[in-house]
Amino acid sequence: MIPLNHFLILGAILFSIGIFGVLTRRSAIGILMSIELIFNAANINFIAFNKFLGAGDGLGQIFTLLVITIAAASAVIGLVLIIAVYRNTKNIFADNINLMKW
Amino acid sequence: MHSGLIQQLNNSVFYIIAGLTVFFSICLVISRNIFYSAIFLAMVLMGVACVYLYLDAEFLAIAQILIYVGAIVILFLFVIMLTASIHDRAIRQVNKQVLISAISAAAFLFLIIKIIKRSAWQVNNPSGAALSIKELGKSLMTTYVLPFETISLILIAVLVGAIIIAKSSKR
Repeated sequence: MIPLNHFLILGAILFSIGIFGVLTRRSAIGILMSIELIFNAANINFIAFNKFLGAGDGLGQIFTLLVITIAAASAVIGLVLIIAVYRNTKNIFADNINLMKW
Repeated sequence: MHSGLIQQLNNSVFYIIAGLTVFFSICLVISRNIFYSAIFLAMVLMGVACVYLYLDAEFLAIAQILIYVGAIVILFLFVIMLTASIHDRAIRQVNKQVLISAISAAAFLFLIIKIIKRSAWQVNNPSGAALSIKELGKSLMTTYVLPFETISLILIAVLVGAIIIAKSSKR
C-alpha cells in the first residue's frame, strides 16, 4: 500500500515542473503542453484524496472526469488561437505576440 | 509471505513509473525540439494513467489514454506540423528567465512538500472497496447530472468556437 503522501508529492513535483515550463517556454505550444502537465498534477491529487479521504461516493473521480474534459476543451481553443496567430504573424513565440499589449 | 512479495514488487513498480513520469516531464519542459516535447507529453500522460490504476480509478485511466494520448497529443502534433519551421533546432526554445523560474518553481515545490509532510490526514478507509464503473456512471447520471450536462454544453460551445476562430477570415 503506497501512502497518500507519495501521491501528493508526485503531484507537487509534476505541478512545479509544469510551472517551470509555463514560465520558461518561448513557444506557445510548449506553454500549452506545460498547462496540460499542471492539469494532470491536479488530477492525481483529486483521485488520491478521493481514495484516501473520500466518503466513498466517487466525487473526486467525477471531478477528475470533468477536469479532463475542460483540459481537452482548453487545449483545443488554445491550439486554434495559435493557428490563428500563426496565420497572421507567421510565428508562435509568446514573447513576440504583443499586438494587444498596450 | 508470497503476497507480501508481490505487494513489494507492486510498490517498486509504482516508484519506477513515478520516476519515469517525472523524468519525461523534465524532458518535456527542457527539450529543444518541440516535436519531441509532444512525444514526451504522451509518455507523461501514460505514466499518469498508470498512477490512476494504483488509485483504483480504472475508468479514468482508460479515459486518460483515450482522450489525452489518443486525441490531445495528436492535436498537438498536427498543430506543430501546421506551424512549420518553428521546430528548428537552431532557434532558442527557452526565454531569458530560466534561472529565476527554476528557483521559484523549486521553492514552490519545497514549500508544498513541507506542507504535505506537516499535515496529518485522517485516512478513513485506506483499503476500502474500489468504486465500480457502474456506480460511477450511475452517480454521473443521477446526483451529478447538472455538471455533466454543463460540460456537454461547454463542449458544444468549444466545437463551434474552434471552427469559427479557425475559419479563414477572407470573404
